[in-house]
This record gives sequence, C-alpha cells and structure tokens, in this order.
Amino acid sequence: MKVRIDLDLCQGHGVCAEEAPEVFAVDAAEARVVLLEASPPETLRAKVEAAVKYCPTHALRITEE
Amino acid sequence: MSAPIPRLSRRLPLFGHLLQLRRDPIELMQRCRDECGEVGELSLAGQPLVMLYGEAAQEAFFRAPDEQLDQAAAYPFMKPVFGPGVVFDATPEQRKQALRNRSLRDQALRGHAETIARETERMIARWGESGEVDLLDFFAELTIYTSSAALVGPEFREELGPELVPLFKDLERGTDAVAYVNPYLPIPSFRKRDRARKRLVAFLQGIFERREREGRKCQDLFQVLRGVRNPDGTPRYDVDTITGMFISLMFAGHHTTSTTSSWALLELLRHPEWMKRVTEELDALYADGREVSYQALREIPVLENCFKETLRLHPPLILLMRKVAQPFHYKDWTVPVGRSVGVSLAVSNRDPRVFRDPGRFDPTRYEAGREEDQHVFAWIPFGAGRHRCVGAAFAMMQVKAIFSILLRRYEFELAQPPESYHSDHSKMVVQLAQPCRVRYRRRAAPAAAAA
Repeated sequence: MKVRIDLDLCQGHGVCAEEAPEVFAVDAAEARVVLLEASPPETLRAKVEAAVKYCPTHALRITEE
Repeated sequence: MSAPIPRLSRRLPLFGHLLQLRRDPIELMQRCRDECGEVGELSLAGQPLVMLYGEAAQEAFFRAPDEQLDQAAAYPFMKPVFGPGVVFDATPEQRKQALRNRSLRDQALRGHAETIARETERMIARWGESGEVDLLDFFAELTIYTSSAALVGPEFREELGPELVPLFKDLERGTDAVAYVNPYLPIPSFRKRDRARKRLVAFLQGIFERREREGRKCQDLFQVLRGVRNPDGTPRYDVDTITGMFISLMFAGHHTTSTTSSWALLELLRHPEWMKRVTEELDALYADGREVSYQALREIPVLENCFKETLRLHPPLILLMRKVAQPFHYKDWTVPVGRSVGVSLAVSNRDPRVFRDPGRFDPTRYEAGREEDQHVFAWIPFGAGRHRCVGAAFAMMQVKAIFSILLRRYEFELAQPPESYHSDHSKMVVQLAQPCRVRYRRRAAPAAAAA
C-alpha cells in the first residue's frame, strides 16, 4: 500500500499522527503533515485506514500497488 | 476573458433575490442550479452572489486558498453575534492558529465521550416514566451543557442553567439574511439578538465576580483567559470579548448538534425499521455492561450511517460563502474580486448525479460497495476541503454518545403527524420549527427484556 497526502487540503491538524505515528508526523512550523513512511507495511494497514477515515480535511488516500 | 455568468431570473428591484432567500432558500438555490447550471448569479440586495454547483465546481471552491476566497467578509450576519475581536475579526493566520485547538483532537475526545454521556443522563433524570418533550428545547439545553463542559471546562458548565436556552435561541434567530442590507437594522430579531448578547455578557461578568468574591480558584478556559494581563497589569481580555469567544465556541457546535440530534430521532421514528436496527445495535454493543466511552463510540456503523443520512437530508448549514479576494477561475468563467461565491450544502447533498433516489432516507447508501459519502466534494454536510468542519469527529462522537444513552433508556414516538415536523429556514441559522414534540416512555432494562 502507498499513502498520499493532498497538500492543498492538509492543514496540519495531526489526527493521522495520533492514529498512525509510525507513518505520519506534524511539521508544526509549516502546519503540514509529513510522511515518514510512503509505503507502510501491511501490519500498519488498520492504523493507516483509521488515519484516512478520521482526517478532518479528507487529505489522505491509500493507493494499492 | 470570462464567459458570461448566467444570471438567475425573477430578480426584484433593490432586493434582488433576498426576499426569496428569506422565504425558501433551498428552493431558491435549487432553482438557480436548474436554471443556470454549474455557475449562476443571484443578487442579495444589489450584492452579487455567484453560486457554484456540482462536484467539480464545488471542489474548486473548497480547494481555493484563503488569500483567494476569504471566509471572513462573507458572513455579515455573524459579526453582531460574536462581537468585536472574535472569529471573523481575526486575520486568516490567527484563525488558522486557533483552529489547531487541542480540545477537538483525538486525545481530548476520549474524555469528552464520558462527559457527554453524563450530561445526557442528568437531563433525562427528571423525565420520569413517560411524558412528552419538545425536541428543540431539549437538545438546545443539552448541547449547551455538553459543549461548555467539553470545550470550556466542567467548572464553567456548572455555572450554566436553562436560563441560557432562550438567550442562545435569540442569538441564533438573530441571523436574518436582511443583514446583507445592514446587520444593525432596527428589526425585532436584531434587537432581541443584541439584548441576548448583552445579557450573556452580564451573566459571564456575574460568574467572574462571584468566583472572585468567594475566592474560588478555577482552571477553565475563560478563567485562564481572564487572568492574562497586558504589560501594564490590566486584563488582556475584557468580559465582552470573552463572551464573544464563548458565543463563537458554542455557535459552531450548538445549533448544529442540536438540530442534527432532533432530526436523527425524527427520521428514526419515521422509519421504524431503522429505529429497530439501531436499538438492537446499541443493546448488543452495551450488553456486557460497558461504559459509553470513546472506544465504544468509535464503531457503531448502523447508527453512524443513520446520522450521515440525517445530515445529508437536513444539513444544519445550507449555504457556505466566501468573498473573492483574488479572481476566481473555474472552466471558462472568472469571478472578479469583490463578488461573493457560494456553495449550497442542501442542494449538493441531494444531487441526483451522485445520490441514487436522493430524497429517500436510506442509510445503506454508506455501506461497503456504495459508499456515496466518498464523493467528498458532493456529500458535504460538514463542508469540505481545507475549511471542512474541524469539529466533525467531535460532533459524530457527541451524537453517538447522546443516542447511546437516550435509546437504551427510553423509547419514543411521534406526538404530531409525521409530515408536520420541518425546519425553519427564515434565518441563516436553520432550526427545527416548533412545536416539534415527541412522547417518551421508559424502556424495561435491556437485561430484563432478554431474560
């Protein structure tokens, strides 16, 4: 699985970093989320899906490769 | 060069479409969609409002940066409600800072779930075996307590009582679209709005004075703000400003949650098969005696889908607007600086291009395989894009907590003909029209029922 962030929409709320800290972190200075792991392992799927679901601006997407 | 923007017909001299906006805003916005297509221009007392329709145009609206489409200037009816120095008086950068408020974050939500469940129990403690209740009054009062307890602090909430309900009602009803002409006209609803705001300032002043007299040390948000000093020792925020913050904090989560709870209960009562499924889901979830907690609330799919469907059919906000600060382009059209642009949540949520049988209450549209809410720029009860409601997760959690208590303690039935319940759209803040009464009767304890 691959994770994509739509930076037009991301406002740095950081919900994803609380759901999946292995994959996302907040860049407070830029008010943006940064991707720590663009292709997270399958073991993190549930966490990443929660991050996608609960993102307040719907800025995250999972794409399968 | 911009293609000409179609103008909506039936424009009155001076008023344009303002009177239609006050009478039946959804009909007006739908007519603009039908007549003009993706882009169409209304007039609000001489001020042009360019409406954008359909997923693509709405996406352009929701993606535009603040520097291009400005929220602040678009809502003149809110300024007298919030007062000076609050929300729309702040710069986009200050607003951005404020939005990263911790109280709506995931960690904080955990504690809020229990607070909301407790407040709901307190409200129904006075209900007895059976009776009748007006949904607007009940949920308006409950959500004053839940919002203030969760967002300001439990000590502050204990200062509040039912006397605040009419004050918030007057503030909410003080959002007549006539504000587009002048938000300070001497009409009754604006006078009531200003009187309610004054009373609220006096009420908060009383709280602070009482606390001081009694030498109580409080830690809630407003007490902390009250203690912030300028370099010369004077308080940084006067009570008027703090009252404005209280109103703005409450406004985002009060009438919205109250209306949604009311409509959800009404839709479940109008669709008994869904009431049955939701009640069974809740009884099963809490059968082991677990508490109404954040974890419990996270996955209640049937109830959640019923809320999504309620929000789609009855969005508490029906029109979002921005002021054009830099020319806004969409396809061949350009909206020049100074105009307003708008998106109608009510029209979009019933767009037949996206939603099958859009007028029907059908929570299955969110189930795996259909997932019509994945059209994130069409299913927009919380708006979309960078300014999508920051309280959406809090709101969903809140209504699930409230219903986890209500539907397990009581059963309900309509006290009026099903079609008599309707929203009052005469003000920019949508509310359920009164009377909106339902009957309740205490349920046998679920455990006993199963035995």
